[in-house]
Amino acid sequence: MAMISASAGIRRYRWKELGLLIIPFMILLLEMIQLPIAQYYVSQINSSQQKISFTTSLLPHLNTLTPILGLVILLLIVNVLLSFTFPKADQMLLPLVGLMSGIGVIMATRLGLSPSVGDPNLGTRQLVWVMVGLIVCMITLFSLRNMGWLRRYKYTWALLGIILVGLTLGNALRVRNLDSPTHDQLNFGPLNLQPSELLKIFIVVFFAAYLSENIDVMSESNIRIGSFRLPIPPLRQFGPIATMLGLSLLLFLGVRELGLALLIYGIFLSMMYLGSGKIIYVVEGLLVFFVLGFIGYKLFSYVQNRFAAVSIDVVHWQNWTQQTIDFAHNGALQIVQGLIALSSGGILGAGLGLGHPGFVPVVQSDMIFTALGEEFGLAGLFGLIGIYLLILYRGYRIAIEASDPFNQLLAAGLTSIFAIQALIIIAGNMKFLPLTGIPLPFLSYGGSSIIANYIIVGILLRISHNTAMQREGLA
Amino acid sequence: MTLDVFLLILRLLFIVLLYLFLMQVVIAILRDLRKTAANNADGFTGKAAPVVGHLIVVDSGPSSILPGTRFNLLPQTTIGRGPTCDIQLTDNFISGEHTRMWYRNGTWYVQDAGSTNGTYLNNQPAREPLPARFGDIVQVGFIRFKLAQ
Repeated sequence: MAMISASAGIRRYRWKELGLLIIPFMILLLEMIQLPIAQYYVSQINSSQQKISFTTSLLPHLNTLTPILGLVILLLIVNVLLSFTFPKADQMLLPLVGLMSGIGVIMATRLGLSPSVGDPNLGTRQLVWVMVGLIVCMITLFSLRNMGWLRRYKYTWALLGIILVGLTLGNALRVRNLDSPTHDQLNFGPLNLQPSELLKIFIVVFFAAYLSENIDVMSESNIRIGSFRLPIPPLRQFGPIATMLGLSLLLFLGVRELGLALLIYGIFLSMMYLGSGKIIYVVEGLLVFFVLGFIGYKLFSYVQNRFAAVSIDVVHWQNWTQQTIDFAHNGALQIVQGLIALSSGGILGAGLGLGHPGFVPVVQSDMIFTALGEEFGLAGLFGLIGIYLLILYRGYRIAIEASDPFNQLLAAGLTSIFAIQALIIIAGNMKFLPLTGIPLPFLSYGGSSIIANYIIVGILLRISHNTAMQREGLA
Repeated sequence: MTLDVFLLILRLLFIVLLYLFLMQVVIAILRDLRKTAANNADGFTGKAAPVVGHLIVVDSGPSSILPGTRFNLLPQTTIGRGPTCDIQLTDNFISGEHTRMWYRNGTWYVQDAGSTNGTYLNNQPAREPLPARFGDIVQVGFIRFKLAQ
């Protein structure tokens, strides 16, 4: 009897996940070894002119590797825990997400050492956040015993999110420092939390719950002119969604959080499409968006500034007028410096610790993509975007396989958060879209974003586990 | 070996490992997809899932289904108006996917699948999974069935 259960345990063990974790561990250790050597190289190249030869004494001590080894061990613990508690959960998400946040930790360590950021504890703090995030992910998995709980209290979740953000923003308005980059944070002693990160999850839960309950009604319009049905959703069912959407958009636009407003609107459009299956809603939504965007552009000067940075022509910098040069030193400094960093990376990159990402303002959070591009090059960026694509693929696959409309919409909506967020900030960094300050999922420095992302991963894992259990008739 | 050569090797190693990892995940995904495809093919060509119960129409409500009609129940059955449902009922008061029923450890479970007009087991709303015995009355929208062996 004991032998049978032991062999069943071995068969149930998440070997695929363990196998997929090996290369991420090698990558993280490799980068952690490279960082101090690169540091030494940079310090020597400035003082002496002759070539420095490599000796094994340059290899870092084991204790400099401790932080990343801690992450590796925690990922292994999560692997073992999942095998015993949720053996059927998706096996590819954890390695993908673990590698991404590991690279995020290494990049934060590296940027903390650069003089312009000047915060040697940046990497340690990011590491702590990732570890807290992994624990929160496990807590999410355990506490979502009943998914109906999320669905039933949908209005509570949505209102909770709105109130949290409203309080923070009210605070920011009171002290009137809308221009400071931290105006959307809630301070609990030493912790700076950004409730807006949680709001995006609450909004998706609300949309998924509401749309799944009205899935039949939403796809049929009830407003007619003669025999022609207007292609808009039925107003009575659309009302609550429009209210939530309007409230969150007003909150973000009121305090100039263009990126988050864009994210929420993108989630709204994709979930309306997923819920109703009607592309016409998306087209209408985009039309409304362009009209509103145009009005916003005419009304607010800060929107105009963001667009002016997009129209700047960096390639022909020799032809710049004095006015453009001034602009590139003030309003468009981030974009221009970011593009210079990306181009200096080339195809293979400068190598971790060997570039100069410190010239880009706020490089550790909003502009992390340019730092990655400078040090890992185009090849590295393609690899990282490939990992994003695989995370999205797994997320949407979990959504397709889920058993009921609520879980499907929830999984797809949560995955869309990653997709839209990465799209907005990468396009912003590369001057395709106006730059807006939202974090790059898993890679940017920032505790709230890491924890919110791990909550999403936890929900996705739970949905995939539930689906597999139901399919085998065990639930 | 000079230090810059060593650093170049480390840099190339990083990129190689990154793409190896991507390849490994893609291979795992492909294997997964093949397995799913094989399972689906089995489902179509192999023998059909066993019938473990029946639903007999007791009261057809506003619909045109004749009372006494028998529907076969598979171990996992979905009821609704949509084309993907195992039991398709054309009635205006039935949602796209209305009710889910599944058979586990000798007991039937009934749960509403987020319908507009609700599912009831012996007049109890079945928002959560409810265990059903043979002879119980399952009401889908306004149509009433008896669960039979």
